[in-house]
Amino acid sequence: MTESAAREAPARGIDKAGIVIAALLAAVALVLVYDANQIPATTMYGMGPQVTPVVIAIGLGILALANLIDAVRGNLPPRESADPVAVLLILVGLALLIAIIGFGGGFIPATTTLFVTTSAAFGRRAFVTDLIIGVVLTTLIYVAFDRLLTLSLPAGPLERLL
Amino acid sequence: MDTFAALAHGMAIAAQPMNLLYALIGVFLGTAVGVLPGIGPALTVALLLPVTYKLDPGGSLIMFAGIYYGGMYGGSTTAILINTPGESASMATALEGNKMAKAGRGGPALATSAIGSFVAGTIATIGLAFLSPYLVDIAVRFGPEDYFALMCVAFITVSATFGDSPIRGLTSLFIGLVLGLVGIDKLTGQARLAFGVPELLDGVEVTTLAVGLFAVGEALYVASRRHHSEEKIEAVKGSLWMTREDWKRSWKPWLRGTLFGFPIGALPAGGAEIPTFLSYSTERRLTKYPDEFGKGAIEGVAGPEAANNASAAGTLVPLLTLGLPTSATAAMMLAGFQQYGLNPGPLLFAERPDLVWGLIASLFIANTMLLVLNLPLVGLWVRLLKIPTPWLYAGILVFATMGTIAAKPSVVELSMLAGFGVLGFLMRRFDFPIAPVVVGLILGPIAESQLRRALAISLGDPMTLLQSPISATLLVVALIALIAPFILKGLGRFKANED
Amino acid sequence: MKSFCARLFGAVVALMALTASPGLAQQMELKVMAPAAPGGGWDQTARAMQQAFVASGVARSVQVTNVAGAGGTVGIAQFVNGAKGDGNQLMVNGFVMVGALAMNKSPVTLEQVTPIARLTEEIQVIVVPANSPIKTAQDLAASLKADIAKVTFAGGSAGGVDHVMAALFAGSVGADAKKVNYIPFSGGGESLAAILGGKVTAGISGLSEYDGQIKSGKLRAIGISSESRIPGVDIPTFKEQGIDLVLANWRSVVAPPGITPEQKKTLSEAVEKMVKSDAWKDILKQKGWDDAYLPGDAFAEFLKKENVRVTDVLKSVGLVKS
Repeated sequence: MTESAAREAPARGIDKAGIVIAALLAAVALVLVYDANQIPATTMYGMGPQVTPVVIAIGLGILALANLIDAVRGNLPPRESADPVAVLLILVGLALLIAIIGFGGGFIPATTTLFVTTSAAFGRRAFVTDLIIGVVLTTLIYVAFDRLLTLSLPAGPLERLL
Repeated sequence: MDTFAALAHGMAIAAQPMNLLYALIGVFLGTAVGVLPGIGPALTVALLLPVTYKLDPGGSLIMFAGIYYGGMYGGSTTAILINTPGESASMATALEGNKMAKAGRGGPALATSAIGSFVAGTIATIGLAFLSPYLVDIAVRFGPEDYFALMCVAFITVSATFGDSPIRGLTSLFIGLVLGLVGIDKLTGQARLAFGVPELLDGVEVTTLAVGLFAVGEALYVASRRHHSEEKIEAVKGSLWMTREDWKRSWKPWLRGTLFGFPIGALPAGGAEIPTFLSYSTERRLTKYPDEFGKGAIEGVAGPEAANNASAAGTLVPLLTLGLPTSATAAMMLAGFQQYGLNPGPLLFAERPDLVWGLIASLFIANTMLLVLNLPLVGLWVRLLKIPTPWLYAGILVFATMGTIAAKPSVVELSMLAGFGVLGFLMRRFDFPIAPVVVGLILGPIAESQLRRALAISLGDPMTLLQSPISATLLVVALIALIAPFILKGLGRFKANED
Repeated sequence: MKSFCARLFGAVVALMALTASPGLAQQMELKVMAPAAPGGGWDQTARAMQQAFVASGVARSVQVTNVAGAGGTVGIAQFVNGAKGDGNQLMVNGFVMVGALAMNKSPVTLEQVTPIARLTEEIQVIVVPANSPIKTAQDLAASLKADIAKVTFAGGSAGGVDHVMAALFAGSVGADAKKVNYIPFSGGGESLAAILGGKVTAGISGLSEYDGQIKSGKLRAIGISSESRIPGVDIPTFKEQGIDLVLANWRSVVAPPGITPEQKKTLSEAVEKMVKSDAWKDILKQKGWDDAYLPGDAFAEFLKKENVRVTDVLKSVGLVKS
């Protein structure tokens, strides 16, 4: 999915992120084995529900090792620096969306929030304009899908006014 | 002979001016809704089904067929233009299609996808009309062991989507396999990896994962590197239309895609994903331009799109003859039938031939209409990319979350969507391919349950996999597919030396 | 994806239900929860109730909510915790929920809700491929007794009504229910293909689902699970073939815990009026559901018995740990 800028960069030193990835994969493998052991054996014929998780865990273990070797050798493709603020803004938007839906705030405020934060993450600073665009867009979506096409979207105080 | 007469009769009805208008409206509505990111064909059909209630059965059926094809095409459009496949079957399309769009070749990509869909849809509908009774006999012979073998073939073809590092590709695939384990085990009803969260018992929804990884992940990734180069997406570079070269490179993939799509779609548990990936990997292997793959090769759009549409027509075989809805879209088609109190099944062809042939004729008409409507619109769709980036991505996220909210308005589901978004972002950042995760989630559980069903029937004897001729054949195919690339590579080198 | 569409299809059905019902002004405003995604049996029941409640003038408005997940485990938890003491709420449930709650070790049980009435039921059928040597239920019983492992049953999800029926069948013919080789398929379609293709010995399903296949002669029905013959259905019951197996996939309606006796009376009366209405009878005919109305204490008693029976069966096949 990434572009191949400077792909031929020479192998660098140990890649810390790569080691974290390998560790995570190994951790997932352990969780799989642990979880598989919690399943009571009930199967009379053929293969039980524990077998596949263990097989996948073994595969993951091997892949963790392979990723670790790649990381130690510095074989990972080079990465450009990322803008943490932009990512954070979108994530905050998603978190707010989940919270608003969770607390019954309704579809329009939730998705408008996401619209505004995403737009801000892409560098726009015209909050009021974006807010208005967001409200109009999400209200249109709400009316079109909830009312005309009877898709049930979560309704909060705002939606009940419509 | 009867088939011809019945089809001609159906055509005569479907080609009345009023019905042609309904087909046009259907295709237009289907495309308009289907083109929204995160909204796949099945959802489009579901949303627009009520619109058809108001018409007489004939007109309704025709509009329905139009919506169906329009939705399919709309789904591919988002996959190509903004890398947001509305359903797993257009994932393969996104792989090359989006690369083409980013390089300013969105026009040809959309055109080859529209024409490919038309060609495949037409051939497959002919197949549906004439081969249904025979195909269905073969289809029910597929037992669990045969499906498992088919999944083995599919798993091998997935490797075509791995990119340059098999290790990272396999890692992605295994992440998908792990996600596929979550939820109640289909064969014993035991919970796996649910950690006591009841919402997880039903497993991970493919749409949630796909939309999270593709749409949310892409938005996060693009935002994170905005400060680098204002990576200007060019809407149009070069011809908006397909060049002679594009045609030459497209027609064979269209036909091959149809050959994969229709028969596999006709299998009760075949699905649309497997033929699209089979087609993608085949095109990748057969192409004369291997360098372009991964950067926007037109074959990689033409083949999977044709396979996708052909398999959609294929799913009508078990639907019409056995009453089996084998895909989400087919389930919606079933709903469409049921509005006339019709229950597709072995008696349908005998009891209501007028409606069956009416539907098949409508499919032909709608398919043609799609081409008529959408080719001129290619320019308009491509211009979607000219929406300012902040609003484009904000809009994508709004629609993407709307899809999930509509499906399951639970905090757990939305958190999963966000989580998959982060996963998609990290995978892009560390150069892990995305598609294998979704493939793992789809194929893993099918392969597991079919293998376990086969073993339960054979009382644990693994030889059952080799005793079935279908399964044995498919396993050999899988083996060849596994080894062939190495041999071909050797041959290629040999050839290169000769040149 | 499937449940996604099912949900949308449900929304579509809801629209039809709304437009079909004349808005007669009446006293009650009810909320009916379907603890499943739209499109399935419970959802259809809830929507049908909505239609009949309004059409018969029992309620002014009825809102159907869907809380999908794990055979109703998610829905009932929300119902018991969120609707406690609310006399205007109802929840649809049925046979499958009994097993799902036991299997998912749900902290909430059906003992906590207030039973109102059983509404409908669907009779189960056992089928074999047309070319199978098995002709009657007794033939199947004989094969089970000969080698139970080799007799494979195809049906719906593990622990569901089809699975329970396979175990009960084996138990009532004197075979070891624990050893039943039951193979769950996702949805009626896939299991149908397995039966037609002769991959399994027999298939179990609701009668209406395989009706077309039975009539066209592709499947042979060897018995149905009703108490006595059903008019218009030329299939013998298990009972008349000497096998003591009576089972139905029932659906019922319950109220939240902690409601007052008056509230319970009002709800019961409302449901009774709804069930007696022409609108309800029309829906039953249209959907092919059998009326199995059983109100009040008799239903509470029935619910308890089914709970014990299903839990015992699931324990015997090892799906529920005792």
